[in-house]
Amino acid sequence: MSQRREILRTEGLSKKYGSLTAVADLDLCVYAAEVFSFLGPNGSGKSTTVGMILGLVRPTRGRAVVFGDDVARRPWPALRRVGAVIETPAFYPYLSGYDNLRALAIALGDVPPGRIEQALETVGLRERGRDPYKTYSLGMKQRLGIASTLLRDPDLIILDEPTNGLDPAGTREVRELIPQLARAGHAVFLCSHLLHEVQAVSDRVAIVKRGRLIAEGTVDELIGRGQHLRLRAEDNGALARALGGVPWVTGVEHVDGYVRATAPVARAAELNRALAAQGVYVAELSPWQEELESVFLELTGEEAGA
Amino acid sequence: MTRLINAEFFKLRKRMMTWVLAALLVGLVLLLYTVLWSISGRVTRFGEHNEFTGEDLRRALFLQGSVPFALQIAGTFGAILAIILAAGAVGSEYAWGTVRLMATASSGRGRLIAAKLVVVAALTVAGVLAAIAVAVAYSAIVTQVDGGGDYGFLTATWFREQFAAFGRTLFVMSPYVALGFGAAVIGRSTLAGAGTGIGVAFIEPIVSSIMRQGGSPWKDIPNYLLNANADVILAQNALPPALPRFRAGQEELARQHVHSPEGAALVLAAYAVAFIALAVFVYTRRDITASSG
Repeated sequence: MSQRREILRTEGLSKKYGSLTAVADLDLCVYAAEVFSFLGPNGSGKSTTVGMILGLVRPTRGRAVVFGDDVARRPWPALRRVGAVIETPAFYPYLSGYDNLRALAIALGDVPPGRIEQALETVGLRERGRDPYKTYSLGMKQRLGIASTLLRDPDLIILDEPTNGLDPAGTREVRELIPQLARAGHAVFLCSHLLHEVQAVSDRVAIVKRGRLIAEGTVDELIGRGQHLRLRAEDNGALARALGGVPWVTGVEHVDGYVRATAPVARAAELNRALAAQGVYVAELSPWQEELESVFLELTGEEAGA
Repeated sequence: MTRLINAEFFKLRKRMMTWVLAALLVGLVLLLYTVLWSISGRVTRFGEHNEFTGEDLRRALFLQGSVPFALQIAGTFGAILAIILAAGAVGSEYAWGTVRLMATASSGRGRLIAAKLVVVAALTVAGVLAAIAVAVAYSAIVTQVDGGGDYGFLTATWFREQFAAFGRTLFVMSPYVALGFGAAVIGRSTLAGAGTGIGVAFIEPIVSSIMRQGGSPWKDIPNYLLNANADVILAQNALPPALPRFRAGQEELARQHVHSPEGAALVLAAYAVAFIALAVFVYTRRDITASSG
């Protein structure tokens, strides 16, 4: 990672509203051409963090450094290279989608000719581009929000719940678009509640709870991919005891009628032989497919569906 | 900065509110001219001491008095519309949540708010010019129809005086517009801006007249408020005596011992600068969060 180009870094980033700590000592780093997902339950400080990264909210302490500049002190030109959709996209209701992008393009000043049409095409809004924004569905508004981020060909794209209100087809399009953006060299900072989507598109993930960073790493690291095996035998109790006797198995749990062993997946065959040597024959042995969602719920202490 | 000004122009040009406000101002000029012209043929004598005739009124509607009359309308009713424009230009951004969009697309919040002020000022000037143009056109018709075709008044002095009157009127409007703008920023809404600006424009004269009934120091306080000083400046505009005057005239102001025109200008300028400075300070320092729009 150290060889990769750093796009965004937060150093001890903190925000307090009176006695309420919204964000506390947040240290993050986002690199070029990666999808970095920023997860947390409602009210965990995600939007405040995004606000501080975009210079909309002043940190109480620490700083957000975008392209080498502290955005609280020198927001421009760093923000010129950032495209963002923050929470529900907001545009001028009396303007068409096209004119909203045009107003934005005029303000930005360096948008090449034809980019507006291209952005509308990319998000599938070309046909409705001349219709007033106030007639758009929530999904169309989200698409226009994404189109607005593409206007300036940004190096960093911040997407806060980009699939909010999209139908399944639209959700899939956005899910496909995000890795494309990363492949095209954009860094994507993604906030989403749709953890399946996040798992599918993210390179790295950070999880916050009550404003504090509680986990950060690649998706594989967080879900422990390659580190857990799923086993089942006629007598799972005997299986668990036998697993306890294998020195390189570092953990054993009973989960939903299976035994989860913490052991390298690459040593599955070796483990099978070790169990057989103890007279325990497994009916099933496979890598444990952990979901990011369950890791998230476990780490944040949230109830499923919360 | 130029691109932000262009973006603000683009947005306000496309907005219906801008055109409705312009239409109201122009419509008001047309309405007042029409009413005054039509009653000029019916009234016999009018005025505080019955000193004017219907003929005086008709002559007052001729081309010579058109600019001061249009400016009087612009300086009073036009100021109200300009307050709404200013409050709407910034307050709606909070209501729609676009305040975040534009803040992240602009090269600094200070420049963004400056661009908005420039555009509001430019549109206010355009509105006043439109009011003058309509008044001139209407009075040209009245002049022609009623046989007042003497254009000897069109001298350099007359043009200089009209230009000065135009400047005075815009100057008087500026603290009211700044107040509406500043209140919209602080209150994060059009209603806060328009309500405060219009409220002050309407209520201050009432409160001032009550204060003037009291002894010192109450009777002197209105001299440091907006309305009395605006009256002093606008009284410099040479409005034909037969035309209705919406604000205090020279005699009344003399009775009230209000500031000299220079003093009044200083008071109004201080208010305008203070309101704008407050708006810029709040806008550039305050967090822009979801709850703020």
